[in-house]
Amino acid sequence: MLLDIFDPKAPPKAIGIDLGTTHSIVSVVRDDVPVALVTCDGTGLLPSVVHYGKHGHVIVGAAARSYLTREPERTISSAKRFMGRGHADHDTTELTHLKLTVPKNEEEARSVRFDLGDRTVTPVEVSAEILKSLHKSAVDQLTNVGGVVITVPAYFDDAQRQATRDAGRLAGLEVLRLLNEPTAAALAYGLDKGKNGLFAVYDLGGGTFDITILELLDGVFQVKSTGGDSHLGGDDVDRLIAEQMLSTMGFEAGATVAPEVVSLALGAARDVKHALSDQEVVEATLPKKGGGDVVFSLTRQELAELVLPLLSRTGKASRRALRDAGVEKEDIQGVILVGGSTRMPAVRKYVESIFDKELLTDLDPDLVVAHGAALSAAQLSGEGDEFLLLDVLPLSLGVETMGGGVDKILPRNTSIPAGARSTFTTYADNQTGFEIHVVQGERELAQDCRSLARLSLKGIPPMPAGMARLEIRFDVDENSLLRVSAKELTTGIEQQVEVKPSYGITDDEIEDMLIDALEHGEEDLEARRLADARVEAERVLLATEKSLATDKDLLAPGEEAAIGEAILALKKAIGRGDAGTHVPATKASTVQVRLDALDDATKSWAGRRMNRAIASALAGQGVDVVAKDVNHARGVEAHVEEHEANRARKN
Amino acid sequence: MGLAPRFALDLEALAARQRELSKELHPDKFVGRSAGERRAALGKAIEVNEAHRALKNPLTRAEALLAYLGLELPEGQGPKASPQLLMETMERREALREAARKSDEEAVTRLFREGKEEEERLLVELAQAFSQAAAAGATAKSPLAEQIHEKLGNLRYLRRFLDEANAVMDELF
Repeated sequence: MLLDIFDPKAPPKAIGIDLGTTHSIVSVVRDDVPVALVTCDGTGLLPSVVHYGKHGHVIVGAAARSYLTREPERTISSAKRFMGRGHADHDTTELTHLKLTVPKNEEEARSVRFDLGDRTVTPVEVSAEILKSLHKSAVDQLTNVGGVVITVPAYFDDAQRQATRDAGRLAGLEVLRLLNEPTAAALAYGLDKGKNGLFAVYDLGGGTFDITILELLDGVFQVKSTGGDSHLGGDDVDRLIAEQMLSTMGFEAGATVAPEVVSLALGAARDVKHALSDQEVVEATLPKKGGGDVVFSLTRQELAELVLPLLSRTGKASRRALRDAGVEKEDIQGVILVGGSTRMPAVRKYVESIFDKELLTDLDPDLVVAHGAALSAAQLSGEGDEFLLLDVLPLSLGVETMGGGVDKILPRNTSIPAGARSTFTTYADNQTGFEIHVVQGERELAQDCRSLARLSLKGIPPMPAGMARLEIRFDVDENSLLRVSAKELTTGIEQQVEVKPSYGITDDEIEDMLIDALEHGEEDLEARRLADARVEAERVLLATEKSLATDKDLLAPGEEAAIGEAILALKKAIGRGDAGTHVPATKASTVQVRLDALDDATKSWAGRRMNRAIASALAGQGVDVVAKDVNHARGVEAHVEEHEANRARKN
Repeated sequence: MGLAPRFALDLEALAARQRELSKELHPDKFVGRSAGERRAALGKAIEVNEAHRALKNPLTRAEALLAYLGLELPEGQGPKASPQLLMETMERREALREAARKSDEEAVTRLFREGKEEEERLLVELAQAFSQAAAAGATAKSPLAEQIHEKLGNLRYLRRFLDEANAVMDELF
C-alpha cells in the first residue's frame, strides 16, 4: 500500500463509497463517467455484513452473509443502524439476531458493542472492515487510490457522522468529505441530465430514510431543506414480515426466539419482499416450531397495508421538508427516487400520492449515491466538472438551559458551513468553572434531544456572579461536523475547553485500535503518518507554487523571501531539495513542523488573496443588481460587523 | 453582502450573492491547500452564511438596519407590540390550541395562512416606514422610529405564533 502512494506514474484516483445499511458500493469516475468497481465477491454490490471467525479471521460481504444463519452472533449486519449510538439508545424490543453487551461503566455505554462471545466489536470497527474491503478492491483495480468521499444519510446527527469519519480513519483512508446521500444522488442525476429546477430526493434505503428538497442552478446544488428518520428503512419492512412469519411458524409474539431462527426469518422475509416487486403473491416454505414445514403466503396488497404505517412516517417528514423549504409540492419539478426500498410498488405509489409528480427512476437506485460520491471525489481532487454543493444542517443545535430546556443556537436547515456565538454568564459569586451541555434535535427538552457533548470550562478568574462572560462559538463545517470553542470575554483569555463527547469512541481508542490492527504496531503507524505527511506536503507545495504564479502582487515586502525559505525547508524534509539530493526526514513530525512553518509564512497573504476573491465575486454580479446598490455598497465584513455589534449590544 | 441597506431587500439577489461568494469560498474549493488557508476560507464562508442568515430574517435584518440608522432603543426597552395585535394573536393562539387538540389540519393550516398574510402586510408597512425614516433622517425619539418599533414588536409576536403553528404542523401532519 505504501508503494502505491509513491507511484509516480499515475496520479491517485479519488473514489466514492456508499456505506449502506444492507449494501456498500465503491465507485470511480472513468472517462468522465462514474462506474461501480467490482467488489471482493465479484459483484458491484457488497453486502454490508461482517463475519468475525472463531480463529480471528474477518470475512466481509456475500461470504459473510452465509454465516448469518450458522453463526448469527458472530456475523454483524446492518451495523450502520448502530453508528454513533449509545447503549441506552438501542431499542431492545426490536427483532434482531445480534447480541449486545451490557456496559460495565459509563465509558463503555458511549457506544453500542456487539458481543461475539470471546470479544466485542463496535459498529465503527465493523464499518471500518467494510471500508477496508472496498478500498482494497479499488486498489486492486486502480493501483493508485487517493482520497475517499463517504456518503451518509442527510439526517445523520453529529454523533453518527463522527462515527462514520472515525470508521474511515480506522480503515486508514483519507476521508475527503462526508457527503449527504440525497445530495450525492442529485449530483449523479443533475450532471447526467443537465437539469435546472427544484427537485425532491426521496431516499428510502435499508435502514435510513431521507427527504431532501434542493435547487439545481447552473452547477450549484443548493439544498433548501432536509428531513428524515435515521432509523427507518427496508430493514423495518423485513422485520414486519418476519414477525408474521414467526407467528405462522408457531412462535408467540414476544417469545424469545433463538438467533438462528430470527436470522432465518429475516432472510426469508427479505426474499419474499423482493419477489413481491415482480409478483402479485409469493409463498415461502418455513420450518415449523417443533418440526415439519409450514407454508407462508403474502400478497402485494397485504404487504402494501403492512408497510403503510412506515410510509406515513416518510409522508410526514416530506411535508415538513416542503414547509421548511418554503415551497409547495406544485413547485417541485421531479422526484428523484433513491435506495433499494423504492423498488417496492407500494412505495412508488405512495411517493406519487404525496408529491403528485413524475418519479425519476432512470438511474439505478442502488448505485446512484455511490456514483454521486465518485463525481464529488473526482472534483475535490481537482479533476472533473465544476460544480458546487451547498448543504444544510439537518438537525438544530442548541445548549441545555437552566430549566432543562433547549436554547437553539443554530436551527435546522441552516446553510453550512455555519457558525454562531452564544454568551453565558456565571450565576454564582467566584464561580471558576462552567458546564455546558450541547444537544442536537428538535424536541423542547434537552433530555429528549441527542446529547452531543459536555464542555467543562475551568480557570475563570473569581468575580461576582454575572460578571464573567463566556462566549461559546459553534462552528459547523461542510460535513455538518460540529466544533466548539470558548472564550472568557471579561479578561479576553481563551479558555481551555474540555469537550467530552457523549457518544462514540475517543481519539485515543482509535489510535489503540490502529496499532492493534497493524502487524508492527507503532512502527507501521509512524510509517503511515510519514506517508500521509509527505502527501500533504507535496500537495501544499503544489498549491503554494500555483498561488505564487497568480497572486505574487499581493505579497508584502519580505514575505516572498520568508515563503521561499519555508518552501525550501519543506522540500528538504521530503527529499526534494533543489540543491543536490537531501536525505528525507524519517519522522512525520519533522515534515509536519515544516508544513506548519510554511502555513504560518503564507497566512496573511492567504487572507489578502481571499479578500481579492470575494471582491471579484461581488464585482461579477449582473449590472442590474450592482446598479441598485451602488449608493450604499458595503462589503460582507461591514454587515457582519454591524450584526455582531448589534448582537453584542443585545447580550 | 454588497447590497443596499434597506428593509425591502431583494431576497433573490441576496441568495445569488451567497451563491457567488460560496463559489469562491466554500471549503470544497480549498481541498489540498494548506491548513491555514483552509481554516481562513472556512471562516470566511461561515461569515458569508451568517450574514446571509441575518439579512434573510426580517427581524434580524430590521435590527441591523435600526443600528445602521442609529434608531435602536436603549438596552432593556425592547419594542412593544400594539394592544390590538396582542389581542388578535391571543385569540389565534387559542384557536390553534383548539385545532391542534382536534387534529384539525384544515383549521391549523388556515390559521397559519392568515398569520402569514398578516406578516406580509406588516413587512410591507415596515419597508415603507424604514424608507421614510431613512429619507427624513429620523432620530431614535421621533414618531417615525416609534412606529417602526411598534411594528417590529408586532412582527416578533406574530412570528412567535407562526413558529408555534409550524411546530403543531410538524407534530401532527
